[in-house]
Amino acid sequence: MTITRVSPGVVKVSREPMTLSERAYLPAVIGGMLRTIRHLARNLFNMKGLPTISYPEVKRVYSERFRGRHILTSREDGTTRCVACYMCSTACPAECITIEAGEDERTREKFPVRYDIDLLRCIFCGYCVDACPEDAIYMTRDYEMAIDTRARSVVGLRDLVVPPNFPVGPMGWRPYYGTMDKRGTAGGTGIGQPLREAPYEDDTVPNPDVYRGA
Amino acid sequence: MSTLTKFSAIPYTGPAPTNRQPYVPADAAVMDARGAEIASKVPGLTLESGQDLPTFLVERDQIVNVLRALHDHPELRFTLPLDLFGADYPDRAKRFDVVYQLYSLKNNERVRLKVHVAENESVPTSTGVYQGYDWYEREVFDMFGIKFEGHPNLRRILTHDSFQGHPLRKDYDAAQRWLLTDAGIAKLQPKIAPQFVEEEEQSDFERVTLNLGPSHPAMHGTLRVVVTLDGETIVGAEQEIGYLHRCFEKMCETHTYQQVIPFTDRLNYCSAVINNVGYCMAVEKMLGLSAPDRAQYVRLILSEFYRIADHIVCIGTNLVDLGALTNFWYLFQPREEIIALAESCSGARLLPSYLRIGGLAVDVPSDFLANSQKIVNMLPKFIDEVEALVMKNRIFRERTEGVGVLSQEDAINFGFTGPCLRATGVPFDVRKASPYLGYETYDWDVPIAEGGDTYARFLVRFEEMRQSLRILQQAINRGLPPGPVMVDNPYVALPPKEKVYNEMESLIYHFKLIMHGIQPPVGETYFPVEGGNGEVGFYVVSDGTKNPYRIRARPPCFPIFEAYAKMIIGQTIPDAIAALGSLNIIAGELDH
Repeated sequence: MTITRVSPGVVKVSREPMTLSERAYLPAVIGGMLRTIRHLARNLFNMKGLPTISYPEVKRVYSERFRGRHILTSREDGTTRCVACYMCSTACPAECITIEAGEDERTREKFPVRYDIDLLRCIFCGYCVDACPEDAIYMTRDYEMAIDTRARSVVGLRDLVVPPNFPVGPMGWRPYYGTMDKRGTAGGTGIGQPLREAPYEDDTVPNPDVYRGA
Repeated sequence: MSTLTKFSAIPYTGPAPTNRQPYVPADAAVMDARGAEIASKVPGLTLESGQDLPTFLVERDQIVNVLRALHDHPELRFTLPLDLFGADYPDRAKRFDVVYQLYSLKNNERVRLKVHVAENESVPTSTGVYQGYDWYEREVFDMFGIKFEGHPNLRRILTHDSFQGHPLRKDYDAAQRWLLTDAGIAKLQPKIAPQFVEEEEQSDFERVTLNLGPSHPAMHGTLRVVVTLDGETIVGAEQEIGYLHRCFEKMCETHTYQQVIPFTDRLNYCSAVINNVGYCMAVEKMLGLSAPDRAQYVRLILSEFYRIADHIVCIGTNLVDLGALTNFWYLFQPREEIIALAESCSGARLLPSYLRIGGLAVDVPSDFLANSQKIVNMLPKFIDEVEALVMKNRIFRERTEGVGVLSQEDAINFGFTGPCLRATGVPFDVRKASPYLGYETYDWDVPIAEGGDTYARFLVRFEEMRQSLRILQQAINRGLPPGPVMVDNPYVALPPKEKVYNEMESLIYHFKLIMHGIQPPVGETYFPVEGGNGEVGFYVVSDGTKNPYRIRARPPCFPIFEAYAKMIIGQTIPDAIAALGSLNIIAGELDH
């Protein structure tokens, strides 16, 4: 294609007439085949440079901002940080969070009796994490949430709450404190980026029952 | 962690929330002056002052004459119909607004016309002036129940035929469900194009009606086209849409301004960030604030990257439809890098929801510019390679040249924008016409092509990717501006978490903002941006509460798919497939 300037800020792209060899069809086809064969050869002799990965065995590293499945964090003493203030369910654009509040008779503290997230409704926008005033709900880097029945899409406290001092490794989207340092790695197609063999040791799913059925 | 012991005053001294105050656009005086000028040239216009565009009230029976006059007036030439939609104000005597938005390619200006309509009144159809308004009027009829007199085919368009009521009316109960059974499915019988009506007796073939889609692999997304074939020639075609209708506009009315952002992602899901930009900037315009420089800069970079990704999807999938699968793989590698860049910023790949009203959700990672440069460096190689593979390929040229042609007059009359309009030779680009995000400070060109066929659309898209790369390279050379990525206004932006945990005021602001939302002043505004396939505009009406009163997203695909039938008449099915791919119809946007 040839490019000519029409007026300031506007260029015209015009089609080029085909040359004789292009019109003759065969040389062009051979040229095109050579181009694809070059790709094939390069990929055959340089398997490490392949942009694709063998997915279930090898997994791509996502950034520490990844918005995957949620977790509810715990305090040092093992109680859940959530105080059932309904902020996350108010902020949720998909209305996928259902909370029922209870009161601890000893400490008069509010806590969630029921905390359900419908993962089929959830759009993973991260608004619940932004809304939480208690650092209670985080998102993980876990994106493998396939289920075989609709009923299993609703995850409750049992699936969401993680023990205190849950490792940071699998954590994704979580509140940031003022300025946020480098929390992302643009892995891309992963050429030259570290790949990890699955499963990860620090990547244990809080409660695997939710996926396998309990 | 959350020790509410430290009390300190938040250092915000800006204006208090604008709740229930009328919205006064910054350029209202200029627009009023221009409006008075236009009103003096065209009879029947009553100026409605204090708006962000020259806005006029028009009597119901005058509207067609006014549109005709605006279209034909030699000094005005409002030839491009941008949008037509309704709005419902049940407390008024004439409860409905029918809003027309027009654009003049000659003067680079917009006008808005409003017709007030009562419950049982009808509006004369304007399809005689702008043929693109055919579907828009059907949509207004579907959503509001306003009838258009003389409309050739006034039936529902986004909802199905068993649907009862008109969903965008304020008194419609959104909790209702309407079941579509087999009996309710409309049988489409496409009208035979006039040039083929006579020919039936002479033809050797019996005419066959064929259903393409909605779940046909070549019908991108969920489009349905019913074609009547005479032999292999398409003699009649009719499109049906609405299979991906998600009630975008109705949902916006029940959610807060901030909650609408993830919904806008899902309009054109191939270039989600651009939709976010359009919506956020429309609301920011109402709030009278602009995002910090750093946020604007990141918005621009991500917009351009997503524009490239959008074109990659269009070119790649179109070539798959034509049988050239390899190019799809070659092009999707850089697209993956672009999506990974967005993921490193926002945490999500296809639908980042990265923007917030007033800025960005979080700052970009420290390797943002380095990664952007990496992608800008790698992209030309892939674009060149695909171009070399297809653009001079004789099979490809014979399958695309002269296929799916729409003339310049028709394209303008239908309301085309974006690459499809530029492929007919009209250099209209919102980034040049009304620059935002500082596009005017970059050195780049709008590519146009001649012919308006599938090949011309390829030419424009290839060159647009290169122009986007030019913008990106200049932006990267300038470097990230320092400073925050969010406005310092606690009525718009959530306070930083460390303040929420440590200061009472911030905690209150945080609760107020989540519970009561952003409350823009009372009024209406329109903000257009250049999306992947045309002008994406957001018309926002605020009544001062936390929920938008009305949000209208202008879908660029809508008129383009409307013209599709006209493009394919007289051609064959393979031509129709080739043409459809090059239009880049995104069902999420088409069906709202």
